Amino acid sequence: MRRIFLAGFATLVVSAALAALPGRAEAYPQFQFSSGTTRCSQCHFSPAGGGLITAWGRDESGDTISLGGDGAFLHGAWSPPSWLALGADLRLAATRTTDGGTESPQSAWFPMQADLYARAAFSDSVSLYLAGGARGEVRPSDPSIGGRASSIPDRFISREHYLMWRPSATGPYARVGRFYAPYGLRFVEHIFYVRRYTGYNLYDETYNVSGGYVGDDSELHVTAFTPPPSSFPDPLQSVGTRESGGAAYYEHRFAGMAALAGQVRLGFNKETTRYQGGLVGKLWIEPAKMLILGEADVARIEVTGVSVGETQFVGFIGPTFFPVRGVMAMVAFERYQDAINVKGAARNAVDLEVNFFPWAHFEVVLLGRYQMVGSGQPGATDASLIMGQLHYYL
Amino acid sequence: MHNPRLMTHVRARFWAQRSAMGCALLALASGFGGVGCGDTTDDRPAQWSFISATIIEPNCATVSCHSAVAQRSGVDLHTRDIGYHNLVDRHFVFPGDSNSSSVMFLMHAQGSIRMPPDVPLPESDIALIGRWIDSGATNQ
Repeated sequence: MRRIFLAGFATLVVSAALAALPGRAEAYPQFQFSSGTTRCSQCHFSPAGGGLITAWGRDESGDTISLGGDGAFLHGAWSPPSWLALGADLRLAATRTTDGGTESPQSAWFPMQADLYARAAFSDSVSLYLAGGARGEVRPSDPSIGGRASSIPDRFISREHYLMWRPSATGPYARVGRFYAPYGLRFVEHIFYVRRYTGYNLYDETYNVSGGYVGDDSELHVTAFTPPPSSFPDPLQSVGTRESGGAAYYEHRFAGMAALAGQVRLGFNKETTRYQGGLVGKLWIEPAKMLILGEADVARIEVTGVSVGETQFVGFIGPTFFPVRGVMAMVAFERYQDAINVKGAARNAVDLEVNFFPWAHFEVVLLGRYQMVGSGQPGATDASLIMGQLHYYL
Repeated sequence: MHNPRLMTHVRARFWAQRSAMGCALLALASGFGGVGCGDTTDDRPAQWSFISATIIEPNCATVSCHSAVAQRSGVDLHTRDIGYHNLVDRHFVFPGDSNSSSVMFLMHAQGSIRMPPDVPLPESDIALIGRWIDSGATNQ
């Protein structure tokens, strides 16, 4: 009876919310090692993690991550056929920001995400993955919205759609289509500097030909990418710098409790060429129930027609604690310097994020963020963000 | 049943790997503080092509803001040429006069919401944009 109620509730919520929401790429790198799984692809259909979760991932969400409940699709009330996997993500958010300006502080609440996912397997090795949802704004009531997304059809977007060849859970794979080229720590929160300033901001997905090898102790992902052609309709367009290029990510894991990764990315268009590389580290300390995640990238940007280039740095480091089942708390320090040789051109941020998983399919997120911009220099600015989210996944 | 020498070797390898990872993460953390302390002299070129690529596009042409799709307030900053014409032709920038250019007030949050609203620009970046405006705000 409870399953039927929850399934009905889920259907109602999803149907109501799909009218007007933005979407995000979903991945929780904090669950690697901490949940007993070493590969992101154990819980996700994507070989590099993120997006629709597998049956294993759904079991983990109920048995390990949440306080209880059935993580299966529709709470287990109905199971799709074995060749088909379905899912949905819904998020509501409320924010309060301060930045020292005359209009500060500001408050907003908004529908953050409404995405549907489907993955169909045509054989043991070939599958098609589709994700679609609605994009939106933090300030949806703002009458100044004047872009193409103000019309209803353009409010929708398919951030990911790809065809994949993957004969087994481990081993070689290849895929072609639209998704994020594997690179870095892909947090849920796209505001983190290591996502925002490395080419992985919200809706930055590119069209790719990608392949690699996923093993028990290591994985390699190599991708060639290009932005959606400008002739494509808006629901297929990406945001941000429109670059073509390539990316590679290699991760080696140690004893099921640590990983070290190296990564490179080259992106270019007619205006700029961007060379980017960095390291990712992950360390699980079982006695402390703590996972330390770190990423550091250096980027060199050459601008067409300008003799001087610019070197940038972006980094993230912080521990995530799992004090009791159903609770995850992360403290992090971030830094982004858009000109490494200029004093005062840095943003530093301290984050505190608490995720509460009271029942399978439900999540409550509290995020506090304090940014220090140009610290120690004239005109230094501090900005803060407090955000609450209610997340439901089907 | 266990080989003591093998177990000792496995334990030693385990702790060696853990120590190496710890050192790597510690080095990463300590590196953050030292990276980008920089120079007090900002010798970056006050050219629109440089400013657009390194400051405006990554900070302003995002998600639901001034991207080609969103164009909040009708302002599109996602490429050098489009961004230039949006700022200059629509008088957010008065060439030669940064003190009268509304884009400077927006970035300093004077009388309006701060731009960008989520990650304020450092004063060194705003000053560079000011120098570009004062030098004539050409599309070069």
